[in-house]
Amino acid sequence: MSDLDDFKATYFDECSELLTELEEQFAAIEAGERDADRLNAVFRAIHSIKGGAGAFGFSALVGFAHAYETLLDYVRDGRIEMSDDVVTLCIRANDIVADHVKAVQTGDALPADYGMDEKVRFDTLARGDAAEDDEGGEPLDEFDIEFVPVMVNFDAVADVDEDPANDAFDAPPMTAEPGHWEINFRPHQALYARANDPLLLFRELAALGEMSVRAIVGDIPPLSDFEPFAVYCSWEITLIAPALTEAMIREVFEFVDGDCDISVLQLGADLAFDIPEAAPAAAPVAEPGLSDLLALADDEVEALLDFALEAPAAAPPVAAEDPAGEAPALSFAALAETIKPSAPAVARRAPEVLKPVAPAADPDDTGARSVGVQSIRVDLDKVDRVVNMVGELVITQSMLTQQMDETLRARYTELVRGLEVLAQTTRGLQDSVMAIRAQPVKSVFSRMPRLVRELAQKTGKKIKLETIGENTEIDKTVIEQLSDPLTHMVRNSADHGIETPDKRAARGKGEIGTIRLSAEQAGGNILIIVEDDGGGINRERVLAVARDKGIVAPDVNPSDEQIDQLIFAPGFSTASEVSDISGRGVGMDVVLSNIKKIGGSVHVRSWTGKGTRMTLRLPLTLAVLDVMLVKVGDSPYVVPLSSIVETIQCSRAAFERVPSGGKVLQVRGEYVQVIDLAERFALNTETEAENRFVVLCEAEGSHKVALIVDDIIGQQQVVIKSLEENFERVDGIAGGTILGDGNVALIVDVQGLKTTLMHKTAA
Amino acid sequence: MTALRVLTVDDSRTILAMLHHTLSNAGFEVLQAEDGKQGLDLLKTQDFDVIITDINMPVMDGIEFIRHVRATGQHQSLPILILTTETSQDKRDQGKAAGGTGWIVKPFDPEKLISVIHRVVH
Repeated sequence: MSDLDDFKATYFDECSELLTELEEQFAAIEAGERDADRLNAVFRAIHSIKGGAGAFGFSALVGFAHAYETLLDYVRDGRIEMSDDVVTLCIRANDIVADHVKAVQTGDALPADYGMDEKVRFDTLARGDAAEDDEGGEPLDEFDIEFVPVMVNFDAVADVDEDPANDAFDAPPMTAEPGHWEINFRPHQALYARANDPLLLFRELAALGEMSVRAIVGDIPPLSDFEPFAVYCSWEITLIAPALTEAMIREVFEFVDGDCDISVLQLGADLAFDIPEAAPAAAPVAEPGLSDLLALADDEVEALLDFALEAPAAAPPVAAEDPAGEAPALSFAALAETIKPSAPAVARRAPEVLKPVAPAADPDDTGARSVGVQSIRVDLDKVDRVVNMVGELVITQSMLTQQMDETLRARYTELVRGLEVLAQTTRGLQDSVMAIRAQPVKSVFSRMPRLVRELAQKTGKKIKLETIGENTEIDKTVIEQLSDPLTHMVRNSADHGIETPDKRAARGKGEIGTIRLSAEQAGGNILIIVEDDGGGINRERVLAVARDKGIVAPDVNPSDEQIDQLIFAPGFSTASEVSDISGRGVGMDVVLSNIKKIGGSVHVRSWTGKGTRMTLRLPLTLAVLDVMLVKVGDSPYVVPLSSIVETIQCSRAAFERVPSGGKVLQVRGEYVQVIDLAERFALNTETEAENRFVVLCEAEGSHKVALIVDDIIGQQQVVIKSLEENFERVDGIAGGTILGDGNVALIVDVQGLKTTLMHKTAA
Repeated sequence: MTALRVLTVDDSRTILAMLHHTLSNAGFEVLQAEDGKQGLDLLKTQDFDVIITDINMPVMDGIEFIRHVRATGQHQSLPILILTTETSQDKRDQGKAAGGTGWIVKPFDPEKLISVIHRVVH
């Protein structure tokens, strides 16, 4: 589907919303509510319908909507009274607008005079008003102005380029009137107040021809009398180019008309440009340099077209680099001017070129058919309600499945099959609902380039930002929560990670540092990675600071990886001089807590001298979690399945005592910290020690923790309910959930347990 | 060089979509707001190189929006382009009086749109 079809689909959606709104408004208006807000809303609706119709060249719709809009405008400013008759006419007019919209949407033609009666009545009403007008014969201009729809074609330029046969150079022969213009320009203060800038105007003028500018600075007072907002400067500009007209110059100053004094004077032909009849395609004579270039124009229509099109936006004139140096002092810019008539020709031509794509303007011969993708706008709350219900459905379904024991399975095969289908359908339903809430991370990533650019400027570093996977989709809520943490991480990379250019050079790296931002889906998670090729984390200093602040006890010797994670510890800052960019070390711990709030985790890895990688692991969806249901004491708990590595019977687990009194678990040569959940949550357990289970979990990084539980019940999906919203935040608990049998189970926060553990060790 | 950031403000999704298409194809970074109020909210937290705004909008119209932007003090030199139809010269004048930098006539020609932006943005 072409872009234009996309826009049309959007337009038709919008029309149907606006038409519904019109209906609602008029229901109220009919009931007597004729206040300004309603009339404005009605006016806006018709105005929007007309605006879009103009862009697509639906001329019949534009014509009618325009007449109607004018009437509404008169009603709105009180020139016409909103009598019951007028209301009736408007309601009829709404129907006609709706019919027009439908006609262009379906391609069914309406009679040419459709709505003509009403249009005549608008006219009569408005003219009646004009007759009463004090100024008497003031003509109703609005009705006489033909609102000419300009068909917009978004692929026009590209398509012209692709089609050299479409020779834009059959443009009207140029009146190669050589031009030498003098412009006197004195801006008023208002020009600056409206954010116009003389420099930009000069840039645009320079694209028109050969320009020289002289600033008149005689009025600038001594510094003591200088008023910062006063304007003291004016300019004399000389602009030389063939075929330059006053209108072209005036157009440059279009926006500042009234905000400056300006005079434009033609000084007569400059002999240097007296190129006889230099119509480009027809002049193979002339000077050698010039004819070379013009011959090129014949061959390389496209290239020159590009050039001509770019010319107005180009920087100041490039001095002639013509290899035939002795050619007249004709600048490239001037040459661009010579060929310029081609540019408007392209613009004019565009609609024709693409006629097949952009179906005809007139509904009478319209080809507008399949509108393609349709969309509706839905309140997010409504979607969330569906998400929640689907979540409950998933749980009920999994509960039902659990109820099926072997005997039941054998007896009710049909039921079993039905349940299987139900399971499949629920999954599908869940995925579809989640897809509604999903959005590309692009919206967050797109804020980063500017951030990096500013940081680079501020710190004097050279930083390049690369983004990968910005179309990866994540739940809308996650995206909203992602912005702050990500900003902080990128800041951190730019500020602390990337070194200054000379430091990089000394380390044998390129002067330009790179920050790479990537997003990818990995199983049920989304990974967002912020990576830099900077100096890496200075572990010695991090550890020293951490010991200093009591975050790590003197007798604990954390591994390199553990040290890296310390930057997320609350109240931690390594910057020996506090930078005004990353702040005072409040930040990385905020990142961690923000990410945890949305069920994610952060992990950092660093390579000394080579760089740092921070990985955010986020849930694909917030609502439903795959978990393992366990029992601790009499209470059910759930552990997120994504963090479980394996489960082991305690009788088979190799525990070892450590001198401090705690226990560690040896798994394949690795020592893992043990947390007895019964102990941790102060629950009584009567299960024999050897009948209990070890749930080996992997917290962020490759760090493992062994949770001891009384029993393992099984695997299922749960809908997460926030504890913070319904109760308060509890350490070691990530949330709650309601099980299929109605019992409440708490979700174990593996990462949180581990952090608490580390603090304990440190204390 | 990083992309110039454009804030587009219009209550018509069709117009927003067209602006987005044209501008992002031309390498701009485009953010959207559906009325002046939303536009102001975005401006509080984000920086832009240019604003393109419609006039007729619910909640807060374009004229008021421009006035607010200029009144905040920190956006004095932020170019603001007004989207107008060719028949609404008075709106254009009101927009300029409020502090608008220039205007774009709807329906706009993509090429013209880009060149107008370059007229007001560094």
